[in-house]
Amino acid sequence: MHLDVYGDTLCALVTATAMASSGHHVVLRSPGGGRFAEAVQAGLSLYREPGLERLLQEQLAEGRLRWGALDEAPDADVRAIFLAFEPEHEPQARDVLVHLASHVAPGLVVINQSAFPVGTTEELQMLFPTGTVVCLPEFLQEGAAVQSFVRPARLLLGCDNAEAEVLVREVFRPFNRLSDHFLVMRPREAEFSKLAITGMLATRVSFMNDMANLADTLNVDIEQVRKGVGSDPRIGEAYLYPGCGFGGPGLSRDVLSLADTLQSQGISSELLAQVMAINERQKEVMFRKLWAHYGRDLNGKVIAIWGAAFKPGSGRIDNAPILRLLEALWAQGAVARVHDPEALPALAARYGEREDLVLCQQPYRAVEGADALMLVTEWKAYWSPDFARLQQLMRAPVLLDGRNIYDPAFVKASGFAYYGVGRQI
Amino acid sequence: MKWNDLKAHADDLAQRHLAELFQDDAQRFQRLHRKVGPLLLDLSKQRLNGDTLDRLTALADASDLRGWIDRMFAGEPINCTENRAAMHWALRAPEDSSVATPEVLAAVHGELARMARIVDKLHAGQWRGFTGEVITDVVNIGVGGSDLGPLMVSRALEDFAAPTPQGLQVHFVSSMDGSQVAHLLRQLRPQTTLFIISSKSFTTVDTLYNAETARTWMQRALGEDEAVVRCHFLAVSSAQEKVAAWGIAEENRLQLWDWVGGRYSLWSAIGLPAALRIGMDRFRELLAGAHFMDEHFRTAAWQDNLPVLMALVGVWNTNLLNIHGHAILPYDGRLKYLPSYLEQLEMESNGKSVTRDGDPVTTRTCPILWGDVGPNAQHAFYQLLHQGTEPVTCDFIAPALRYHEDVHTDAARELVRQHELALANCLAQSRLLALGEAALPEGEQMPFYKRYRGNQPSTTLMMDELTPYSLGAMLAAYEHKVFAQAVMWQINPFDQWGVEMGKKIATDTLAALRDGEAVSMDASTEGLLAFIRKPNT
Repeated sequence: MHLDVYGDTLCALVTATAMASSGHHVVLRSPGGGRFAEAVQAGLSLYREPGLERLLQEQLAEGRLRWGALDEAPDADVRAIFLAFEPEHEPQARDVLVHLASHVAPGLVVINQSAFPVGTTEELQMLFPTGTVVCLPEFLQEGAAVQSFVRPARLLLGCDNAEAEVLVREVFRPFNRLSDHFLVMRPREAEFSKLAITGMLATRVSFMNDMANLADTLNVDIEQVRKGVGSDPRIGEAYLYPGCGFGGPGLSRDVLSLADTLQSQGISSELLAQVMAINERQKEVMFRKLWAHYGRDLNGKVIAIWGAAFKPGSGRIDNAPILRLLEALWAQGAVARVHDPEALPALAARYGEREDLVLCQQPYRAVEGADALMLVTEWKAYWSPDFARLQQLMRAPVLLDGRNIYDPAFVKASGFAYYGVGRQI
Repeated sequence: MKWNDLKAHADDLAQRHLAELFQDDAQRFQRLHRKVGPLLLDLSKQRLNGDTLDRLTALADASDLRGWIDRMFAGEPINCTENRAAMHWALRAPEDSSVATPEVLAAVHGELARMARIVDKLHAGQWRGFTGEVITDVVNIGVGGSDLGPLMVSRALEDFAAPTPQGLQVHFVSSMDGSQVAHLLRQLRPQTTLFIISSKSFTTVDTLYNAETARTWMQRALGEDEAVVRCHFLAVSSAQEKVAAWGIAEENRLQLWDWVGGRYSLWSAIGLPAALRIGMDRFRELLAGAHFMDEHFRTAAWQDNLPVLMALVGVWNTNLLNIHGHAILPYDGRLKYLPSYLEQLEMESNGKSVTRDGDPVTTRTCPILWGDVGPNAQHAFYQLLHQGTEPVTCDFIAPALRYHEDVHTDAARELVRQHELALANCLAQSRLLALGEAALPEGEQMPFYKRYRGNQPSTTLMMDELTPYSLGAMLAAYEHKVFAQAVMWQINPFDQWGVEMGKKIATDTLAALRDGEAVSMDASTEGLLAFIRKPNT
């Protein structure tokens, strides 16, 4: 089938390459001249995702995938169009639909994957009377985006047109073989479900962070509590890890979007507002422990930070805890030495050259002369450090474990002051 | 002196009703209003004419007003009972100006830079409490000049509030009895609260008791670590050793100088709470507005000089028309605290009865000031203004434009209509006070209890809009009005000996109250002390 994918998001790139890999002919459309457009044509992925770049190069070489400009009309044989925009590019999506309405034959199906506010799909439908607009929220897991697309746990389809549903099922047939993953409902219900799912996950994480802070004051080890709570089958083990806050373009954006959706209706979710507030506070938990450790004076201290990406496997720093940490440290006159396997370019782009930010290409370079080491993103390479070497390189052996990945007793026995999130020694 | 000449002129004019003065002269407004910068001063509803102003300026000359202005701006010790200069004007002089000495300017701007660092850190959400949490609430503990000025400015400029990530709030605590501080501490968290102890002398018991309550509250929650006070207390004072002794960390001390009187100090670090509300750039606009007025006061001819005209009219009303009540009536709720502020500025400055030479004064001095937001006062004391037996002069104060700031986008149209309503009331009230029944349609016969005799004089002070700049200009105009009046009354407006003795006696009384010892005082005090010790017997 011939498909067009509109957008310059990770979702757009994954959808286009994965669809092409299953035999569809795909044109990926984004604003001409942009960084994304140039990278795609050169066979490069701006998103560091396992397998994505290879897939892109293969499909370009096979000729099933090509790049096209946003304002060009689709080929006559295109049957379905994906919209995968950033939430703030909703006006762009509207322009696309208005343009399509007067340039394509009737019967086209538009599949909206973007995280727009609840009800947007129906509004887009009004702009596009000659075809059908359905909604299929994306559930990509960053760090495993391609895998999560080709083996979806579910496909929440918001669609109230039987013919369009048949077409969408045909498009996704290669990824829906083992059992039927489609759950069909009204578009606004699908949009809201997506937001409610992320809201629930975020709530679990903030709840555990809240518990971890209590644990700190009650001399309880949160790790034991996490296991206990997770052992209850009604709760399950996922999303119960306390830490220094969640970030990323997905999780916090969707929770915020849900909160906004509710707020613009004049109602608000107090629970979600708290969930977000706890998370923002939690992003500074390592700073607070460091602040207390050094007698509320960090002027001139050198702080090593391992991990900047909002999660391992990603190079993105959107809403990542490190942003708040860096700004807090700098405001107190401290210097940060940061290592991250993927995200250093993003940090450099955001902050530019500054004396109190040293980007290090190797983890052990970052700790040289440091008064403390903060573990912020749990990349696998950080899990088993050479503690003796750390001791040797650091000015003071202080380890702040923002993801609770170390054994407090072992770290302490190695001669370090250890601070986790809700961990007791 | 020129008093006798003025007296005869006043006797003449006293026979004439304001309605008549308006009828006789179609150009009255043209003649008797002045526009200076953002301000418009309308004196046409005062019981005087152009001739009066000529005679009054002669009084200014006879009082050597020019010489006194020069002496003030030269930094001479014109506060003679304390042997100090009065250089509040230097607090708002630009860094490159030549009005003050380079040393003074360097000190002033150095302190402004320290203020800016504090404001920026708090506004960035990066001032950390003892636990590392972000400070969300700042409480100013001060009284008198350390309270009224910053409080009044903060409220007046609330539309210019600087947005902060944590939604920083600024609170004020002044009352000696602890009722404000107790109320506030119930609502705040110690971890996220910062106190500013603001006291020029750092001996004001009201403030020190409130500060002690705050410190105990803080330490009960966070412990006795020295960093608790370092993270949660700032001080503004001219007594740096006392501040140090109280335990304020060096980087948290802001200073002012003994050449600034408390009631003239909002332009210094005492204004920190206002700067925290509006941001440092806006605070500097406030200073610029005041500096504009300083230059105007220093250089303009008497007939065009706003503060001088305000002073001359005040003298005319007090000493020649024998009016001893003066009401401050802002028609803008944001100026809610302006009456209290001006009560202190005028009455603490000019509530004196001894001349600079140490002799009893021979003329009356400062009238009794009070006031409220005009539309609210209409439902309170305007009855007395319209139909009581006391003559009273009024200052009507209002901005012409309002509600076009960004913050009001949603309800702007409705709010503009409310502002129009307030302005209409402002003009109607001053008109009715001046003209009395002449303001009403002709031929309406009224019973006596419905009649308006009018002839109550008023000044209307308008600004184009209420901004940091226009507010700065207006407040400086009042400061200089007070100074010019003091010159004509030959008194020192910069001391306040009348508030000292009460504090001393209170110390003895407190001992009597706490120890329960029988001390010999007057019968009333002894009787009241007995009741306080055993209220239920």
